Amino acid sequence: MMARLMALALLAAAATGCAPQRAYHWGRYDAALYQHYQNPAEREAWLTSLKTTLLEAQQEGRRVPPGLFAEYGYALLEEGSTREAVVYFEKEKATWPESAVLMEKMIRNAGQRPVKPAGATGPATRAETRP
Amino acid sequence: MNLTSRIGRLALGALLAAAVSGCVAVPRKDLTKFVAAQPRSILVIPVVNNSVDLTAADYFLSTVPVPLAERGYYVFPVNLVKRLLEDDGLADASLVHQAAPDRLGNLFGADAILYIVIQKWDAKWILVSTQVTVEFEYTLRDAKTGTVLWEDKERMQYASDSGGGGLLGAIVSAAMAKAAPDYMPLAQRANWNALSYPGPGFPAGPYRADYKRDYQPGPP
Repeated sequence: MMARLMALALLAAAATGCAPQRAYHWGRYDAALYQHYQNPAEREAWLTSLKTTLLEAQQEGRRVPPGLFAEYGYALLEEGSTREAVVYFEKEKATWPESAVLMEKMIRNAGQRPVKPAGATGPATRAETRP
Repeated sequence: MNLTSRIGRLALGALLAAAVSGCVAVPRKDLTKFVAAQPRSILVIPVVNNSVDLTAADYFLSTVPVPLAERGYYVFPVNLVKRLLEDDGLADASLVHQAAPDRLGNLFGADAILYIVIQKWDAKWILVSTQVTVEFEYTLRDAKTGTVLWEDKERMQYASDSGGGGLLGAIVSAAMAKAAPDYMPLAQRANWNALSYPGPGFPAGPYRADYKRDYQPGPP
């Protein structure tokens, strides 16, 4: 009985050992990106998925992958949430110094010109107006 | 005398054959340029698609960031990059691939640029089985000099065979695969394979614990 339990435990350990441990919490990032390219007009799903992944990483104390704060920031920008977008560009920059050049550009340009959302056919939506 | 020399020749032949087959084990890539450049960040630009499937480029792009970032490099947000390039009038990926690397490098502040070309992304239906083939060419260039730091080519294929159910079952399963052949698992496998190290990939980046420790220089 004991031997069988130990064998099971070993098997379980071997099985989990086989799955490569990822350094970052990716959530559904790649699947959501795929779906975003399938249906560019469904921007809400893309935005929500990124938000969920970031929340999960925070709750589980796992590392946020490179690029994710910025992808979320850009999705917010597409919705016209300029100020919130800038918060996430700042986070990307603070987490990854390699992103500084691009993120500074994104922060500078945020709100200066309207961003045309993915899948949009009409004219670009206005970026958030000043209070 | 004649016989022994004959045996000797045979033995020599066998030895040669063994040596030749021994050599088949992965010729190690020359990574000296890669290691000298010490890239920390990699810009993945939109994928050039030479296949007949128009949707392949974007779908494939979604499979690149995960395996690449897990190698320990900063990977620029692929969707943001793609959208910025489109806004700059570079919606055509082949235009981006033709642009000067240092121009792209400066625009994004990247150390290296990953160029990917899809050569094959197709499904063939042979009687009742579906054969899906993907083929990709990867080139990593130094963003300042344009020097090729690393390159690889991956080709993956699978054939869905009739898994029982007789001829009718086989026809049904082929029809289903025909409706939606699944390229994504093959694309993912190709990327993980291309980037594995030791293997065809490149050494660990600065965000991995084995950075500068896993590199094995090739034979002189």
